[in-house]
Order: sequence, then structure tokens, then C-alpha cells
Amino acid sequence: MFSMMNGNPFPHTSQTFNISPHRFQPRSKRHFLRRQPLKRLLLLLCPLALLLFFFFPSLRTLAVPSLGTRIFRDDPLITTVHHYDLSKSAGTGRGWEREERVLMCIPLRDAAPHLPLMFSHLRNLTYPHSLIDMAFLVSDSKDETLLLLNTFLEKLQSDEDPHQRFGHIDIFEKDFGQVVGQGFSDRHGFAAQGPRRKLMARARNWLLSASLKPEHSWVYWRDADVEVAPPTVIEDLMRHNKDVIVPNIWRPLPDWLGGEQPYDLNSWQESETAIQLAQTLGEDAVIVEGYPEYATWRPHLAYLRDPYGDPDVEMEIDGVGGVSILAKARVFRGGAHFPAFSFERHAETEGFGKMCKRMGFSVVGLPHYVIWHMYEPSVDDLRHMAEMEQERLRKEKEAQEAAGKEKPDGVGSAAAVSDSGESPLKESSREKDPLEMYENGEGFLDSVRAAHLRAAKQVAEEMKAQQVAMEKAKAEEAAKKAAAAAPGGSGLKDAKNAARKSKDAKPAR
Amino acid sequence: MAVYKSKKFRGRPLSIITIVGASLLLLFYLISPSSSSSKAQKRPPPAIGGTKSISHYRLDGLQSTWRSFESHERVLILTPIARFYDEYWNNLINLNYPHELIELGFILPRGREANSALLRLEEAVKRLQTGTKKNRFAKVTILRQDFDSPFSQSEKDRHALSGQKERRAAMARARNSLFTTTINAGISWVLWLDADVVETPTTLVQDLAAHNKPIIVANCYQRYVDHGENKIRAYDFNSWQDSDTALQMAKDMGDDEVIFEGYAEMATFRTLMSYQYVAGNDIHEEMQLDGVGATALLVKAEVHRDGAMFPSFPFYHLIESEGFAKMAKRLGYQSYGLPNYLVYHYNE
Repeated sequence: MFSMMNGNPFPHTSQTFNISPHRFQPRSKRHFLRRQPLKRLLLLLCPLALLLFFFFPSLRTLAVPSLGTRIFRDDPLITTVHHYDLSKSAGTGRGWEREERVLMCIPLRDAAPHLPLMFSHLRNLTYPHSLIDMAFLVSDSKDETLLLLNTFLEKLQSDEDPHQRFGHIDIFEKDFGQVVGQGFSDRHGFAAQGPRRKLMARARNWLLSASLKPEHSWVYWRDADVEVAPPTVIEDLMRHNKDVIVPNIWRPLPDWLGGEQPYDLNSWQESETAIQLAQTLGEDAVIVEGYPEYATWRPHLAYLRDPYGDPDVEMEIDGVGGVSILAKARVFRGGAHFPAFSFERHAETEGFGKMCKRMGFSVVGLPHYVIWHMYEPSVDDLRHMAEMEQERLRKEKEAQEAAGKEKPDGVGSAAAVSDSGESPLKESSREKDPLEMYENGEGFLDSVRAAHLRAAKQVAEEMKAQQVAMEKAKAEEAAKKAAAAAPGGSGLKDAKNAARKSKDAKPAR
Repeated sequence: MAVYKSKKFRGRPLSIITIVGASLLLLFYLISPSSSSSKAQKRPPPAIGGTKSISHYRLDGLQSTWRSFESHERVLILTPIARFYDEYWNNLINLNYPHELIELGFILPRGREANSALLRLEEAVKRLQTGTKKNRFAKVTILRQDFDSPFSQSEKDRHALSGQKERRAAMARARNSLFTTTINAGISWVLWLDADVVETPTTLVQDLAAHNKPIIVANCYQRYVDHGENKIRAYDFNSWQDSDTALQMAKDMGDDEVIFEGYAEMATFRTLMSYQYVAGNDIHEEMQLDGVGATALLVKAEVHRDGAMFPSFPFYHLIESEGFAKMAKRLGYQSYGLPNYLVYHYNE
């Protein structure tokens, strides 16, 4: 024995495998008998209870008190009382399967030219349309935004394909007064940023508070001026199951400006420099990104894009941009909003990101998942484009002249006509303000946007004509009635008033 | 074979139970309507083929004026409720602002105690909304909050300083959930009325609205019996004017610390509205406030719509309703209080 143990702690002896407890040992009979009746009782009771619960649902509350929420249900006979368990609209990563409702908020201001494109995006959304409620806020608009919006919505909601139709749609009108114009250079000048952002924040808050209902699980903020977005955008963002999530926003540029460019610089991670900068500023100051006046050295979501990167890569951020935000409704229910004051030296969407962080919500950006914002040329860009176009025309003319000398007359003039048809820049328009030309959709801007603009104008004019005709008819009818009621008197005046009234009357709840 | 089987199972009655139970459960889930339990809540089926369900509102036309009563302004009365008091309910239905202009909103925490409150609330609401037309309210919304409250509701616990931050934060979240989901395009005023406010003048809404202030709060007192004598004492200490001491305290505090009013551990020397009450003085005397309590608080809807909410985090070292007054101030709205206009809190 000892020789075998020597140097080997686990010697192979015959006893190694002889572990005695592995032998069958019957339980003591007394023990078994004592437990038997209890088990039998259980055996009988369980199925009985289950059966009872199955056939009499009202008994379930007795067994599990938390099922007491069963009483938490609307009575079909009492239409004025509504119950909602907010935990059922918590929002999960698979909302489209669990039929979670999404509130889509779209603030609009002088957005008529963008509407046709916006609605084509809406139609393409793959998230079940019946689960999407939409809320629009039309504020301080001088163009036909409201009229166009109505037309498009009417058309969309009476679509032949029931799957195209959306849930409930709210349109709100409210003017906030405007501090600056909506031109690109007006909007993006440094001085205008603070007050402008605060106003936009108010608009967003009004829109949200008026439209958010207890049954909404998600809120999707989307700007109208998006050029290209994946139709699956809602699901793509939702899949990440974060409290607040934004994609990367870029914009296409003309070739001579480099083809593409980061657009939304409001999605960023906080930096030490920025925190120190914030401490030196007054209580009401607002730090805005993307201006040399405030060098914050923050990592921007926009600059981190890799065109071939994995679109699912996430990045923790502190400020968010507003072009396309998907947030769980519980974030807004918890009180997070777009600060219309300086919250930790930030306002609007950036302040929203900061506030969400402060409240412990997750705020995430996707650096490689891109949505393309519309390209709106700045005044400088437009001037540059005008010069380029003139240069091009001059060269063409020269070429034509050169060609005209060689070729017979007929062919040359035909070419000239088709040329001017394609790019109707006239000699007289050289002195015109490029911005004006751009907004009129005339001239050298051979872009999709100009075409949309023209289409929008046409529709708006048609609608206007229709409305005028209808009003006329109404006024005539009213005048007839008034004349019949009071033949000698202020019949005409009354009729006019009646007509005005019918015009002002708007459906309200 | 049969013998073998029965032998096998006799030894393991547990397995039989499991099998029977599992199959029954399976059956239950297969047959029972797959409604509410797993799926998110739905609205009445989205209009397919029927109405276009497009609504249009002009928020410009909304007013909240001192003549609320005559200009038919709608009032939303909001109450976070954990206990149901009959006195509260009776007081509520006795408010003589036209009921067809009033919408009610309640939010209940999760838990057993709230369940019993819910039962009684349900019953009361049902009785009212099926009763005389004149007494019915325009709309009643009952919400169940989506988070657990970290506190029990016993009077002692509620007022201990240590738990104040969590308690007030949860309260703030409940209030925010309530107003963000119930305020709709037609609402002009929001009245926050706590569930334990059991006695107010019947003209509460008109009286407060008549001052035409963005935020105005009544003075909350409590009735008690002392040696057989009926007396009143101050109850809500959240309505105050700031003091230099408090401001200095806030300056020296860390980012996540909060100042609470009414605790000896934190002497703030603020001017408390509770102690400005003088019996017999004009009830419409106003005073400016920097912090407000939400026991009976009337707010113009535009204040909430602009974004003023009840911070659930330390906002300028303030939280909940006190933080609300501060946030409103940052948005340009001044709060006011009526020191001689009393409402009464339930006495536990």
C-alpha cells in the first residue's frame, strides 16, 4: 500500500470506485406515509383550482391580488371615463409586433415646398400605419402650408389601401411670433441661435403636450425637410430599445462643394472644455454647437460617420439633434421636455438630451446610420451657383457660335431652343436676387426641390381657386336666404357676415 | 406496462402535478382571449374605411382669463391619489364651476393599498357619471403609473427627511405622467388638487382664476381638536419666498442635494406663506412666491405647455412643486399665493 501511495495522491486502488452511498436506500416508510395525504390533496386541489379559475375568471383576483387591475377597465356604458395602465405603454424593442402606438410629431413652419416629399416618405414607412398617430403644429407660416397639409392628409386618410391610412391625426395651429426669418443664413447665424432655439423649444412642447395620450408607447420627432430616409427608420431605431435614440444626419451637396457634408451638429458627447466653458457663462446663456464662437471640442456624432461602418453601432451622447428623434413616451411622461430656457447652458433638443441624462434615461446616437437632410443653398452658395451657371452658358454660347459657323443654321437654332428649355435662365435674371429666384423655383436650380416647389404651388393654387369658388357659392346662398328673410334692409351685410362666419368656423373638440 | 407506469408515477406525484398543471395552463393560454395582458393598449380600432380621423385645433384662440367662468374655459383637475377620502370626493363634486367644463385626471401608484383606493374611486366615479346630468364631469381619466413608488404611505414615513428626495421625486414623476397625457387642446386651466384636501370653498376655481395669474396657490391648513376645541394649524410649507440664507445654502451644496422646507435640520429662514395668514383679513390678498405647494394650485395651461413640469431631479436644489415654481420662473412666469384663502388638509 505505501509503495503505491508514494508520490501519487490518487492511487488506483480497488476502493476508488467503491463509494457506498450510491447504493439504493429505500425511504423510511413512516416518512412516506406522513407526506402522502398532503400530496394527494395538492394533487386534487391544483387542477381543480386551475379549472375553477379557467371557468370563473372573477376568482382569479382572489388568488393573485395584483390581478386586481382587472377592474381597471373601461365600462362601455360610461363613455366619459377612461382607464389606462401606463405600464402597458412602456415601449419595447419590438413595438410593431406588440402593437405599440407611436406618436409622430412634426413641427411645420413655412414648409409647403417640403410637404410633397414628406408625404412620400410617410407613405413609405413600414411601421404599421394604423399604429401611428400624427401630430402637426403649423406655426407662423405665411405660405400655404396648412392648406397643402390638409389636402395631402385628406388624400392619405381616404386612400384605397386601408394599410396606407394612419391612426388619429391632430393638426394644431399656433403662432409664437418669430425672432428671425427662415432663410438659411438667417436661421443659422450665430447671434440668432439662442432666442431662435428657445422659440422652437416652446413650439415642440406645445405640440407634444397637446397630442401625447396615455396609450402612446413611443414618440417619433421628425422634421419635414428630410431628403432621404430609410422607410424602416422607426423599426431600425426602435430595435435598439433605448429611451432616446437619434441617427446621424448628413446632407448631400453639389459636386463642386464636395458631394456630402455632416449636417446636424447638435448630437454630441460632453467634453471637459465645454463643461468649463459652461461654468464661465451666465445663467441665461445658451451654448450652440457648430460655431467658432464656442469652441467646445466635443466629439460630434456627425463627424464619426464611416460610410461602410456597421449601422447598428451605438454611441452614448449628451446633446441630441431634432431632425429625427425616437424616444419612449415614458421619457416625456416623466417630464423631460425641450427646455425653452437655458437648462445647463443648453436649450431645445440639446437641452432635451441633457435633461434626459439628468433624469437617468439612456441617450444614444447611431454614427453610421444616416438620414439625409435637404440641401438648402446659402446665399453665398447661390451666388456661386449663379456665377457657375453664367459661366457655363457663356461657354455654351461660344461653342454654339463656333458650331454655328460650321453647321447649317436649322440644327443650331434647334439646339439652342432645347437648351434654354432645360435651363430657363434668361438674360434678365442675371440681376435678380438669387435667393428670390431659388424660392420661385425658376432658373438654374435644376434640383428635385425646385420641382417640388413648383408642384406644391400648383396644388395650392388649385385649392385656393376651389375654396374661393366654394365661398362664393356659400355667400350667394346666404345672400339669397338673407334677402328672402329681410327683403328691405341690411340683407347683404348679414349675408356677408354669415359668409365670414362659415369661413371662420373650424371643427373643434 | 401499465403496472410499470403507475409505479413510476406513484413515486413522483410532483411530476403528475406539473404535467397536469402545464397542460391546463397551455389550454388556458390557447383558449382565453389573448387580450390586454400581453399587448400594448389600443385605441378604439383605427379608422379603416370610416372617418378620416383628422382633427384640427387652433391653440391661438385658447384663453385663460379672469372671467374663466363666463368665457367657458375648460379646467383640468388633476389628483395623484393613493388613498381615497369621501370628504375629498364630496368636496370635489360640490365645486360649483360648471361640471361640463371640468375634466378630471387621477393617477394611482401600483400596490395593494392603491388597489383599495382604486376600488372606491371607481365606485364613486361610476355613481357620479351615471347620475344626474348636471353633476357629471366632461371626462374622467384614471391612470395607473408605470413605476413603483419607493415609499409607504404612513404619515410618519412620509415626512421623514431621509426619504424625502425619493418620495418627492416619485411624486413629481406621477404628476408629470398625469398632466402630459391628460392636457389636451381644449384645456385653459389646470387645477392641482391633492387627494387629502378635504375642504375648500365651493368657488375654488373661480376664486383662484379671478386673480388671472399664471400660477396661484391657496394656503393649506389643517383642522384639529385640542382639548375639545376646534382649531386650525398650518400644514403645507412648500409655498415660500426665498431668503438669503437659503440661497447661500444652495450655493454651497453639491449638484444632487436638495433643500426641503419645514425641517429643523435645514433652517432656511424663508418667508413661509403658511405663517402669513391673518384671520379676518382680505382673502384676496396676494403675495409673490418662489416655491409653491401643489395641494391646491391653479396653473394656466400655457405654463405647462411651455414646458414647466415638476422636476424629479434637483433643479436649482429644488424638487417637485418647489422646482416647478423655479422652472416656471425660468420660463418667465411668476408664482403667487393667497395667504388668507384657506383650504383644509385631512387630519390623520
